[in-house]
Amino acid sequence: MPITAKPQAALFIAGHGSTENPDSSVPYFDHADEIRKRGLFAEVHCIFWKEEPSFREAWYLTDCEEVYVVPDFISEGYFTQDVIPRELELTGPTTTVRGKTIHYCAPVGVHPSMTQLLLRRAKEVAPDVDPTQTTLIIVGHGTNLNPNSTKAIKDQCNLLRLQTEIPYAAVLDTYMEEQPFIADWHTLAETPNVVVVPFFISDGLHSYQDIPVLLGFESEVGAAASQREVFRHNPHELHGRKLYYSSAIGTERLIADVILDQIHDFDQLHSNTTHDTH
Amino acid sequence: MTRIEILQQLLDQGFHRIGQIEILRAESLASPPPCAYLLCHEDDIEDVQNASGQPSGFSESSNPFDARDISTYADDGEYRFTKGQINLKRRWVMHLEDITALHEAIENFYPSNFSLWLAQQRGTLEVQTLRDKLNRQTGMYRFARSISNEGAQRLVQRVCGPAHQCAKKILWQIDADTPLEDSEASRFNGIGSGLAEPHAIPLLCREACNHFVAECRKESKKEFEAKAQA
Repeated sequence: MPITAKPQAALFIAGHGSTENPDSSVPYFDHADEIRKRGLFAEVHCIFWKEEPSFREAWYLTDCEEVYVVPDFISEGYFTQDVIPRELELTGPTTTVRGKTIHYCAPVGVHPSMTQLLLRRAKEVAPDVDPTQTTLIIVGHGTNLNPNSTKAIKDQCNLLRLQTEIPYAAVLDTYMEEQPFIADWHTLAETPNVVVVPFFISDGLHSYQDIPVLLGFESEVGAAASQREVFRHNPHELHGRKLYYSSAIGTERLIADVILDQIHDFDQLHSNTTHDTH
Repeated sequence: MTRIEILQQLLDQGFHRIGQIEILRAESLASPPPCAYLLCHEDDIEDVQNASGQPSGFSESSNPFDARDISTYADDGEYRFTKGQINLKRRWVMHLEDITALHEAIENFYPSNFSLWLAQQRGTLEVQTLRDKLNRQTGMYRFARSISNEGAQRLVQRVCGPAHQCAKKILWQIDADTPLEDSEASRFNGIGSGLAEPHAIPLLCREACNHFVAECRKESKKEFEAKAQA
């Protein structure tokens, strides 16, 4: 969905980041670069929980009086609902803080347009498979601590089942730490081909190191993403199936479009609402 | 004044160094390349000047956002988790077309530092105490808050400052009433080159970095175990 250019506004892309894994923040910068190229905002910045600049340093980065904040997170949850609002002093969809008007959008992972990106990624990783003989598995982290963390994946899987563009035999949601477990992929999927797309923003510890072990094509947790070539050995022949494993969906450069979609939706939803000032 | 105008004013006053990065005006070179500014590692100035900005064997870039790639790893392959580390790799040169690109480059080499320095000059910089930082940690880092003040003071001397590869000037205290004890780390002015302002601007640490938080967690665990054994 195209958005109107906002030459007076800044965009903050809020990510998690890591002090240990340099690959963790690469997607955020890629998304920012992509949006910057389009010249829609006066400024585009990335801000982080674990890297520099921190969420609390965001104020100092821009002289713009209007700022859109889009969490580059895969689901609603603790970070999008508690940490980011607390760190940025946000009290509602639009808050005036320190003379700046801040619009807080929904995270990228919950937007319906993610469905097209998941299809695109699945097609890229296994371009020649017959979809009617293929199960598409979307794998997320999952945690019993927060039911919202799996909602985005379940919603996306429902949309993937409804679409007719690529008629996969089945679409399954699976998780690392709650049922249905990704480690059981070979009993969950009944087709000869299986395509697995990690529902994470970055190729961090989970998508590059943990999930390949759970899938069974790596025997132990290996080095960081940029040091290895995990995704270049498709397909993996396991349990009598052909298994295709993709990199994390967040590494897709077109997530930039989803960020813009969230801003478009925000404007549509909140165009006539009042906002908090403090 | 906009931040670009302030940067221009600063350059006119003689500013040319931030962290380990030297800012060269293209016009100062014998055969000026077609750009306005060049950036290089402070230890490579001579090579860059002698070759009029195109030294052999150096990587070249004109995109200010390439600063991120240049500054991610040290020459020995170590991940530079905070860009205040004094192990910026060498043998690269950046050709920047104008002052806006220069601003973007230095804000990417040292994320937000120029903005923080600017806020400090304007009197609007809010510094976060270590206790405030630790009390907001989540998950396994929640335990970092248990560290004693004494343990935190020792940690500053063991983790921070140029002796431990960080060239940032620490602005924070342990809490509102507890300043850092005097040490090389707490005294460091954020300018590793030895230059004076306005020739260089300092790297600023307005909140403890997440590496320090991780060290606090380890230290608090040791303190807990020591108490349990006593």
